Amino acid sequence: MSAVFKGRREDRRLITGTGRYTADWNQPGQLYAAFLRADRAHAEIVSINTKAAASHPGVACVMTHVDTAAAGLKFPPPFVPYPGKGGQPIKVPQHGVLAKDRVRYVGEEIAMVVASTQAAAQDAVEKIEVEYRDLPALADVEDSLKPGAPLIHPELPGNVSMEFDYGDQAKVDEAMAKAAHITRVKLYSARLVSNPMEPKGCLAVYDAGKDVWDFWSSTQGMTMMKGSMGPFGIPPEKVRVHAQDVGGGFGTRGGAYPEYLVVMIAAKKLGKPVKWIATRQETFVSDHHGRAIRLDGALALDKDGKFLAFRLDWICDLGAYPAGAGPMINTITPKLTPTGVYNTAAVYGYHRLVITNTTPIAPYRGAGRPDGAYLIERLVDEAAREMKIDRLEIRRRNFIQANEFPYKTPTMVPYDSGDYPTLLTKAVEKADWAGFEKRRAESKSRGKLRGIGLASFIEPAGAALAPKDQTLLKFGSSGNMILHSVTGPSGQGHETVMPEIVAREMGIDPELITLSTGDPDGPPLIGGGTAGSRSMSSHGAASLMAAREVIKKGLELAAKDLEVAAADIEFRDGKYKVKGTDKSIGIVELAKKQSTTAGTHPMDAGGEVPAVGTFPSGVHVAEVEIDPETGVTTVLRYITMDDCGFVVNHTLLEGQMHGGIMQGAGQVFGEDCMYDRATGQLLTGSFMDYYMPHAGLIRNLEVYDSCVPSPTNPLGVKGAGEAGTTGSLPTLMNAVVDALRPIGIHHMDMPITPSKMWHAIRAHSK
Amino acid sequence: MSKIEMTVNGKKVSHDVEDRTLLANFLRDQLGLTGTHIGCDTSQCGCCTVHVNGAAVKSCTMLVGQANGADVKTIEGLATGDKLHPVQQAFTECHALQCGFCTPGMIMAVAGLLKDNPNPNDDEIEHGLEGNLCRCTGYINIVKAVKHAAAAMK
Repeated sequence: MSAVFKGRREDRRLITGTGRYTADWNQPGQLYAAFLRADRAHAEIVSINTKAAASHPGVACVMTHVDTAAAGLKFPPPFVPYPGKGGQPIKVPQHGVLAKDRVRYVGEEIAMVVASTQAAAQDAVEKIEVEYRDLPALADVEDSLKPGAPLIHPELPGNVSMEFDYGDQAKVDEAMAKAAHITRVKLYSARLVSNPMEPKGCLAVYDAGKDVWDFWSSTQGMTMMKGSMGPFGIPPEKVRVHAQDVGGGFGTRGGAYPEYLVVMIAAKKLGKPVKWIATRQETFVSDHHGRAIRLDGALALDKDGKFLAFRLDWICDLGAYPAGAGPMINTITPKLTPTGVYNTAAVYGYHRLVITNTTPIAPYRGAGRPDGAYLIERLVDEAAREMKIDRLEIRRRNFIQANEFPYKTPTMVPYDSGDYPTLLTKAVEKADWAGFEKRRAESKSRGKLRGIGLASFIEPAGAALAPKDQTLLKFGSSGNMILHSVTGPSGQGHETVMPEIVAREMGIDPELITLSTGDPDGPPLIGGGTAGSRSMSSHGAASLMAAREVIKKGLELAAKDLEVAAADIEFRDGKYKVKGTDKSIGIVELAKKQSTTAGTHPMDAGGEVPAVGTFPSGVHVAEVEIDPETGVTTVLRYITMDDCGFVVNHTLLEGQMHGGIMQGAGQVFGEDCMYDRATGQLLTGSFMDYYMPHAGLIRNLEVYDSCVPSPTNPLGVKGAGEAGTTGSLPTLMNAVVDALRPIGIHHMDMPITPSKMWHAIRAHSK
Repeated sequence: MSKIEMTVNGKKVSHDVEDRTLLANFLRDQLGLTGTHIGCDTSQCGCCTVHVNGAAVKSCTMLVGQANGADVKTIEGLATGDKLHPVQQAFTECHALQCGFCTPGMIMAVAGLLKDNPNPNDDEIEHGLEGNLCRCTGYINIVKAVKHAAAAMK
């Protein structure tokens, strides 16, 4: 809907170095915190001696589990408000906010030092003595699941926190028995480190007079941050969260980390501001990790290649503790779209959440969606090969058709809208799929292996983090408006796009509207933050509803001003017009006339929408070329054809796609968070060891959309934040495998590194 | 402790600092120039890139003593009054930033790159950005912005 893109409203401060991230805030007299973390994966703590640290020059206090327990802090249970297999709830182990008698992963917080300088705090941490008694470390789910494996938490038999299933097992067994063909795949979606460029941290100030904390930290939304503190033992209403600029979220900045709470109780105890900024190394070990899932799938087909049933097995590494939304993303989320975009009568999924001596797993861009799409789309490509059916044809034979919406999955989830056959047709046309064999031959003539791959995928978006989402439009004295919302932007461009939504409805200049999301003195709004590709369908749609309410309220006032009956007025192009005359008053002019000094304005209005999910879909196509001499894989071209519903701002949508696709490409071509299996030591603990995508990983990336507006929200939008990642995992892997098929390779696990590729090609050419 | 004097964004500054202070921390903590960000501890991310005597350097790799007497420019000093530097202008016009945390370092690195090579091709741009990480943009629009800025500076 936007015309020429001229930059975002948040850009000016960010390109001139005047943005303010967590580390940029300071308070007079502030002290600095540093943490002692476990240097081993699994051990009993025999003793913690803080005496030398406490007497180190400049040290104000040292805190351990004794202090956190005294302050009433407790480690919160994960967010899993539903039972698992056989009605069994998730098993949640008891443990402290700081480690008490056992550590269970490298990097687990044991103690915190607060001192007058950062250096003094760090030096004092070195002086804390911990005596350990080592226990065997289980760094891999296979080791945790072995019969007789040591228990990481005594109260979790078999090291399993939850078994979760869905669908109809008997129906699937029956379909498998009568199937003409069954295709099976076994895949691994590697453990990843989210790595927002801003390391985590916080600054806490306690006001004893009001019994309230002011708290600065990067967050994906004020309500998420405050809400997550309640279960830790600090009531949300006692916290005033400040977040102006947030240096990346990706799911990892959803709620409070244990460190934040310890910093807060220290600020209260000492009566001084306390600041803590993690090093990148700390971020690597203590930010929740993502993915780490073993995926096992079977697809039953009839003789014509029609899908009869999917059987899906997920073994999900939970890390040492079930944390936050970690268990949710690999249970309820994949249950929403278990058969993808395909008409399939039966599905059965069985997911196990397994405890290991590793950093806890939580949402990372896609959060279960890319893994699910990867499993389904690899199954479909292999089924096509095994049954000798064209890859496009097998998809066309099984697509849910455009006239079948709202479509109910076998797990009784309603897909809102879509047109998968059209997405496919448009995508392959843009990609010149038909001309590929010529290009493959040309590559072959240069000794290269060329492949083309696609994925037709769907994902659940618009996570119901709150029952509804509210916004409020408040007028200033000059006709300007503040749009209050509890969205938690971390680069998506909300300051630009939310006012655009309001301005378009009102027919006015968006510059008159300013978005406020990080104001602790703002109105108390119900709503979730920014996660699960939800901000446009929730906060965006609620902004539209608020604009409509303002227009409605203005109608009576305009009637009075124009001295006519309200029924004689129509609102068009930013003006209340008396029908059949040239008499009118602009909405901004009217608002200025109504301005009072009372703090409220008669045209102030709120808007809200219920939490309703959307189901964005897409077809992505990638073309890759492999050099067998070096093992290097190059992405030659990447095309997207997405249905994200109504597109409010195409440039910002493109930005979301670019970033999402590159995070998927990072996983495909290099990202792999590795632990030493024997000791549980993290092997990829810095940017020197952990692969991050660099400029040029994908050069030619074209983003197209083909919109079917969603009927579930007044904007007609669907989610877009995660679609790029969900699509790119299967798309790139299908392209890589396609390039390798001529030499007889039909499977390779991510990450596709040059070394792995070179060895695989060598092994197959013997 | 050592006495450090340098010119930062055209202004002479002088401070007594602990010897182990890094240039990045000096700029942020002593001078309050928080546009220079610290994103890692191993000199990979490039968020802290500034210009020292005209060359782009990662200010976390340099002790402040090594910059004694130098002419330092940070992101806060890149625009001329209200007029943005062409690289800053290109970043906003091309939507080459999202969360913005890597952006100051990225812009300073690109400004340095274009000074050395006013007309870089794709390979040279990618090579020039090897020391700067961005998690949001996929670099697509950053590379576009480099070309845009190069054209504008001709």
